[in-house]
Order: sequence, then structure tokens, then C-alpha cells
Amino acid sequence: MTATRSDLSGLAVHGLAVAHGERVVLRDVSFAVPKGAITALVGPSGAGKSTLLRCLNRLLVPQAGTVALDGEDAAALEPCTLRRRVGLVGQTPVMLSGSVRENLAYALADGVPKPAGLTRALADAGLDATFLDRPAAELSGGERARVALARALTRKPELLLLDEPTAALDAAASEHIAATLRSLAHAGLGVVVATHDLPFAATVADRVVALRDGTAVTGKPDDLLSVSSQSRAADPPDATGPAEPPP
Amino acid sequence: MSQPLTQILASAAFVLAAAWLAHRQRLGLSRSLLTAAGRAAVQLAIVGALIALVFRVPALAIAFVAVMVLTASLTAGSRMRALPGARRIALGAIALPALGATGVLLAVGAFAATPRATIPTAGILIGGAMLATTLTGRRLVEDLIAGVDEIEARLSLGDRARDALVPLTRRAIAGALVPLIDQTRSAGLVTLPGTFVGLVLGGASPETAARIQLTVLLTLLLVQLLSALLTAELVTRAATLPGERVLVVTSPAGRRLR
Repeated sequence: MTATRSDLSGLAVHGLAVAHGERVVLRDVSFAVPKGAITALVGPSGAGKSTLLRCLNRLLVPQAGTVALDGEDAAALEPCTLRRRVGLVGQTPVMLSGSVRENLAYALADGVPKPAGLTRALADAGLDATFLDRPAAELSGGERARVALARALTRKPELLLLDEPTAALDAAASEHIAATLRSLAHAGLGVVVATHDLPFAATVADRVVALRDGTAVTGKPDDLLSVSSQSRAADPPDATGPAEPPP
Repeated sequence: MSQPLTQILASAAFVLAAAWLAHRQRLGLSRSLLTAAGRAAVQLAIVGALIALVFRVPALAIAFVAVMVLTASLTAGSRMRALPGARRIALGAIALPALGATGVLLAVGAFAATPRATIPTAGILIGGAMLATTLTGRRLVEDLIAGVDEIEARLSLGDRARDALVPLTRRAIAGALVPLIDQTRSAGLVTLPGTFVGLVLGGASPETAARIQLTVLLTLLLVQLLSALLTAELVTRAATLPGERVLVVTSPAGRRLR
């Protein structure tokens, strides 16, 4: 499932470059993130996965390159509006003060909790309604990760960026998240999952973007992940060819 | 033996005792204690001579207060040097509330508009403003370092950068006022504040000393709150980047633009 030049739905990344001081993190990175599909972003630690995710919702401004949302330059969009449309769940699932209900309500545009919507978001993230009144600070790492996902979902984003979503989850919880993401993608949500969990990526992804030495290679999971799992470093094979141009 | 000489000898004996005790306990503090005492003696002797001069030449009072404000700004600014324009932030947060309140107290006649009244009043208020600025600024810098995940989580939910920083600034302001609130609440019960002690030792009646002390303490409540609020506002502006982003502070002495 790949985007074409005529398909402007989703994110299109072109020529992205980021450096922290002297260290080049990303160079000339180009790929597309279509809606209705799950894109796995894989690569070894320090490859720039988190940096790339932050560029996609402009928490970080790249030194070069563009990101387009539905064909419109993301830099030209109002930043808060962009981030509501392109949700990001960070690697550390931060819980705001108060209950789970308050955490979910925080994400709503008007701040008014609608019980059905909150329960639905919780269920999508694999938690039942009894969690609503629990103090967020008392949740386990895995529960926090799922509340953070539910909180992002209450915003009803068009695209969802997840940074290592299975880092704090056991196998069963990871499978539940994978099923949730597949369901959301089926409903039209574009999902980007940055992960070093290659089995999870292989399970969930429709397409893979592999980062290595600051550059990106795009392909199908079978092509990229089998080689990556052998090298344990998400090393893309030469045969996959150059990065796919953005739409 | 004269009383001034006795005071000097008694205080010297106390600091020597402290240095000896620290040496016996192998705390490694003896040199610091003696150096601090020596510096205080030299500084206070110079200040005493300067103030005596200022009392004779009132125009010098303005310069003296300006030096106090600048010194306080440098001190508080050094505690948040990870932020751009830290010294300017400290200068604004200290000078406006402290000098404003001093001006009001003199204008309404609470204290005489003479160097003898103005310099101690301004000094106490500048010191209080410096404390509030330092505590607020330092806490904000610490939270900008440790709280980057929370800030990014709020930004990712669509918050404006200013809104994402509000929880940090509220915590910093509340924390900065705790020492003064505790001091004010316990005034006369746990400790006798410095102004009160100084006035009584200088010959003022306890009633007069209490009244002046109360005036200073209650004025400080507003001065320190304003300093903390101004620090929070100026730090928020310094830490807010175009595109609703927040400055990433990686260490108390460093920062990185994202």
C-alpha cells in the first residue's frame, strides 16, 4: 500500500534534513505516509526515529526539506491545528495530574468530557471504563502507555504518530495495541509507528520506512524486516532501491 | 573594653570556633567558613563607609541603589543562565517590583525620603525580589530540563507553547513564595526578623521596630509575588520559539534550539 503522486491524502516528506550541532541525524529523507495504512519506522537506536516523528508535527523544525499534510505544506499550517490533526504519543507516556478521565478530557477541544467518547477511546487502547476515575499517577507503565494512546485518540486525529508504543507492554498488550491500530487504520486513520520491535513492526505494518545512517529506505515489510531482523540493526538491503519519492 | 571592640572580638571568636569545629569533624569547611567571614567583614566595612558617604551626599543614594539592583540581577541571572537574556530577565523582575514598592512607600510617607530610610528599605525589597527571582528562575530551568516530555505531550495535544508552560510556571511561582510566607507566618514566634532586631539594637522601641518590620514583611509579599510572576512571564517569552515550540534546555548552563 503506497501513496502515488496523485494521492495527496496523508503526509508527504521530501528531502528532510536535521542536524544537532555537528551531528547529522537525518539527510535527504523522503517518504509518504498514506491515510488508512500503518507505516512502521524502524532503525537502530539513535537512527533518528524520534527526531523524524517530531518533524512530522513540527515539534522540531528541520534544517531542510518539507512535510506536506494532504498536499499542503505543514509549515504553512497553524501549528496547534497541525498537531491536533497529526497526533503524537511520545516514547515516555506522560500522565498529566488528575484522573484518567481528566487526562482524556484535557485532550478535548472544549475540555468537556463526553463519557461515551472517553470510554470508546479507552476501549480502543485496551482499557475498560473502570479506569476513568483512577488517578493517572498510580497507573503502571503499560497502563500509562495505553492511556496516552487513548488521550491522543480523543482528539480524533487524521494521522497518529507513535514512538515505541510497545516499550512498556507485554506480548498480550502489544497484540491488543496492534489490533487497535489495524482497526483504526481500517477506519481511515494514518498511523506511523516508530519502533525497534521488529516482530511488532512485521505484525502491524503495511509498509516500512527503514532509517540507517540518516537516510530512509521505503518498502514492504517482507522486503525490509526480514533483512533487518537478521542484522538486528534494521539495515536495509541494497536491493530495495532508493527512497520512494513523496506524492 | 569598648563595646564595638567587644562585638568584633566576640564575632571573631565565634567564627574561629566554627572553623575549629569543622576542622575537628573533618568536614572540609574550615577554609570556606573563614573566607566567607573575611569577605563579609571587608564587604560590610566598605559598605558602611560608602553608606556614611551617601548619608552626607544624598545624590549618591541613587547610584547606590542602582548598584544593588545590578548586583542582584547578576546574581539571580546566573542561576538561569541556560536561558537567553537571563540577566535582562532578572533585572526586570527585580527592579520593577522592588523600586516600584520603594517609591510607593516613600511617596505615601511611610518612610522619610532620605538616604537613611531609602537605602535600607530598597535593600530589603531588592533582596526579597532577588530571592523570588532566583527561586522561580532556577525551578523553571530545572523543569524545562526534566519536564521536556510533559511539555511535548501538551504541545502534541494541540496546546500553545505558552499554555504548555503554565503548569511549570505555577509550580515555580508557588515554590518561590514558600520561604517568605513561612517567614511572615512565623514572624515573632520562631524567629525575630532582621529589621526588627536591627532597629531594637539600634535603640528603637520594640513597638516601632515591630511596626516597621510588619510594613517591610507585608510589602515583601507583593514584591516577591510580582517578581515571581514577572520572572515566569519573561522566562515563558524567552523559552517560547516560533511555531508554538519550546526551547529545549539540556543542562543548567546550556540550551539547544529545536
